[in-house]
Amino acid sequence: MVAALALYPFVYALLVASPLGTEAETLLPRVDTMVGVFYFGLFAMSFDFVSGYTGYLSFGHAIFYGTGAYFVVLAANGQVPLLAPGTPFMLMLLLAGLLAVAIALAIGALSFRLSGVYFAMITLGFAQVAYVFVRGWDYVSENPKDGAAVSTDVHPDGFDVGIPWIDALNLEIGRLTGDTVEFLFVSLSGTEVSYYMVGLVVLVCYLAMQRLIHSPFGTVLLAIRENEERAEAVGYEPFQFKLAAFAISGFFAAVAGGLSGGYGRSVAPDSSMYFLVTGDALLASIIGGFGTLAGPLYGRLFDETVREFLSKRGSGGGLLPYLRDHLPASVIEADLVGGLTVGGAIETFLNGHASLYVGVIFVLFVLYVPNGLLGTVRDRLGGTVAKQLPDYLDRYRRD
Amino acid sequence: MTGTVLAPLFVDALGEFFRPGTLSEVLLNGLSKAALYAMIASGLTLVFGLLGVLNFAHGSFTMLGAYLGGLVMVVLVGSATGDLARVLFFLVGTLVVFAAIGALGGAVEVGLIRQLYDRPPIYQILLTFGLALVLDEGARIVVAFYGLQPITDWRDALGTKPGFMAENLEVAGLTVAPLALFQIVFGVVTIGAVWLFLTRTRYGMVVRAGSEDDEMTAALGIDVNRVFTTVFALGSAVAGVAGMLLMWDPVWGASLPLAHETLLPAFVVVIVGGLGTFRGTVVAAGLVGLVDATMTWWFQNAITFTGLPEMMIFLVLVLTLIVRPQGLFGVEEVGGH
Amino acid sequence: MSLLELDGVETYYGESHILEGVDLEIEEGEVVALMGRNGVGKTTTLRSILQLTPPREGSIRYRGEELVGKETHEVADAGVGWIPEDRRMFSQLTVEENVRIAVPKGSDVEAGLELAWDAFPDLEEIRDRDAGDLSGGQQQMLAIARGLVGENDLLLVDEPSEGLAPLIVEAVHDALEAVAGETTILLVEQNLPMALDLADRFYVLDHGVVVDSGDADEVSTDSERLRRHLSA
Repeated sequence: MVAALALYPFVYALLVASPLGTEAETLLPRVDTMVGVFYFGLFAMSFDFVSGYTGYLSFGHAIFYGTGAYFVVLAANGQVPLLAPGTPFMLMLLLAGLLAVAIALAIGALSFRLSGVYFAMITLGFAQVAYVFVRGWDYVSENPKDGAAVSTDVHPDGFDVGIPWIDALNLEIGRLTGDTVEFLFVSLSGTEVSYYMVGLVVLVCYLAMQRLIHSPFGTVLLAIRENEERAEAVGYEPFQFKLAAFAISGFFAAVAGGLSGGYGRSVAPDSSMYFLVTGDALLASIIGGFGTLAGPLYGRLFDETVREFLSKRGSGGGLLPYLRDHLPASVIEADLVGGLTVGGAIETFLNGHASLYVGVIFVLFVLYVPNGLLGTVRDRLGGTVAKQLPDYLDRYRRD
Repeated sequence: MTGTVLAPLFVDALGEFFRPGTLSEVLLNGLSKAALYAMIASGLTLVFGLLGVLNFAHGSFTMLGAYLGGLVMVVLVGSATGDLARVLFFLVGTLVVFAAIGALGGAVEVGLIRQLYDRPPIYQILLTFGLALVLDEGARIVVAFYGLQPITDWRDALGTKPGFMAENLEVAGLTVAPLALFQIVFGVVTIGAVWLFLTRTRYGMVVRAGSEDDEMTAALGIDVNRVFTTVFALGSAVAGVAGMLLMWDPVWGASLPLAHETLLPAFVVVIVGGLGTFRGTVVAAGLVGLVDATMTWWFQNAITFTGLPEMMIFLVLVLTLIVRPQGLFGVEEVGGH
Repeated sequence: MSLLELDGVETYYGESHILEGVDLEIEEGEVVALMGRNGVGKTTTLRSILQLTPPREGSIRYRGEELVGKETHEVADAGVGWIPEDRRMFSQLTVEENVRIAVPKGSDVEAGLELAWDAFPDLEEIRDRDAGDLSGGQQQMLAIARGLVGENDLLLVDEPSEGLAPLIVEAVHDALEAVAGETTILLVEQNLPMALDLADRFYVLDHGVVVDSGDADEVSTDSERLRRHLSA
């Protein structure tokens, strides 16, 4: 899968240039969108790390994502005390993560005495306090309701991903400000470089979380999810394990938020701290597979692909531009009922309303596919895809 | 904002706050908010008590009620319609909203939520969360189709308010907002009706019994599933009616964000009161309403922090869960659901 | 035709196999004791009959009619009543409301109350108290009263003497004896003297199957035959 994702920008470029280019452009997410899939996917994975593996629904998880995003933007603007605007981005991410760990420990210490709905509500409460706070905090910017942007005066450069202080091992990310790369016969645009560098950070984070899940630590988490009393009876203190999982998850959520702040060079309360941001992670986790770690990334990919396909703006393909180009005007303009044309109907009922269709799919998943995409595939194969797929195919070959 | 400027300002504001005129205004404002919160939250708490489902789509029912109520009013009321007729039409609209949103809620319980009772409660949260997305986006499509601005209040619906509710009255030197009075009366009547239903009817007795022990209730020959449907429908209907009430209120108004604006305070109210306890919810609604109104006044007059009222509400939630997680009137062990 | 007939009933809690094929029969008018150690599936047998934990295999016929697949309230409507372990009062309802709710829909509620107060005069005096405030003995009386007014032909009674003082146990015994005159009873009871005194017949359950059965007269309370199955 990593290999497939590594080749994606090339495949996308090839396909878009091919005779089927318009179809590819219509159906496939743009590389720019994929960067968002990566960092938000990381956030969704971190949400899954605590909620999917311990069974405690962290409904205020956006507080960590927001912490990361705000930290990076404020640090880049020189608004974080003791931190120069020129601090390497990687260091900023690390510090943002550590700040989130501290917040997670504080919130978790108070919240893990509760469970079920009550746990979801208290974490939601904390996150909403933070949300309302940053939305009104005029230190952030003149108009805190709209968030803040990285100032081009204070921090003109893009954000470097790589090994700090070694210039050759860094590449800048960003839509416009990112580095471009010419290497042998390959040339990569700023967005494509961002794709790889953000993807790299996300991959490293994913591997770290995966190691933890497959360690004895992860086994205890699963034991807690299945039966907390039994886990306690065999000598594990569930509180400490839950708290640790919460802190680790907060760390990676903040890294994800930091990446979003660095790539987009801005932060807004409604897209970072609001409870619906957690809702989006929840959506990705359920569709991708709750308690599968990698699943939420696929869930987010699915979500974003549908959104882009039904995008109102029509940039990067989508349904309506495709139909406009390929259907005769008479069809597009045809009357359906009472002056509503086919094009108008798509504009009205489909475009910009991906939430509706994603929501319907989400509900269907909750009802009929509770293990999500990845979870279901794993169940069918009887193990993780990477491990089982070769065996599985082998069996078919021999039959 | 330096200390020297703040201190006298604060003392001034404190003096201002304790003037009878201010206090009565804040009290009235707070009680009207309390009435609305109680209406919205009572459905939430009944449904949780009986079904163990924390319904994330509850605010969406309020939002739909506001639009549907607005639609009824806009259709019925012309510019020549007198004030009394407007109030009567409002009552007609209330019945329409009650029936329609109640039917929708019943359908949701039968069609969706019923399938999940034997799964962990987390799935019910997920399901209703998804349902809220679908309802909100569906409403957005319809609203946009008719050329209404989905984010801001629906002005035509606001305009169907009787003239006497639009401006404040001066009574004995005190400022009284007739709309707030109307909301309080309406809320008290609604909550009173629900309370009578719960305590004075056989069906209400069954609902209380089912909230405590649905197995035992079923073993006494009562079709608990039908009770679930009825209560879910009733809770949704009351939330819808609250939306109808908000449709006239310029502070809220019929709009899509109403779904979240009402859902979150309602969550706070049910948790503070104790999930599943009707009495606790009513008391907590009063508390949260008064905190909200008080903080709104301070924000407008002394402390320039935009999110102050909202932040206080969530702080009340967090503090309650830390100090007394079962809520003011909750007795159940916490986390049972 | 027996009043109740269980045939190869297998019931699970999640993955745990609790009943592994229970067969038993109850004739109209009998009192049948169901005995066995803790955790062998006595309560599960009652829950299976009520369809609270529906069996996966086997059949449960009541007056010849299959109960498996019915809803719990339909089983109750057919005339099967439940006096559960731990009494399960509606603690936030008053004593009177607890009785009222047990009167079947369409029946005369006042007559039901009359019946309950006649049988348990003590309860009438505290009719307005919340059931949650009652003592264990009072709660047990209320639970039996609920079973009494439910117009049941078969009562499933689970551990009625558990946790009660000896004097109260005697009162419970007498109350059940009175009820036994009117209805058929399937009784789960750890208190052997009481169980064998009330019962006409007995079944012994072990590891989810019936391992012994017979007339209550055949065994005395200290019989070797019972002790084999009942001691841990």
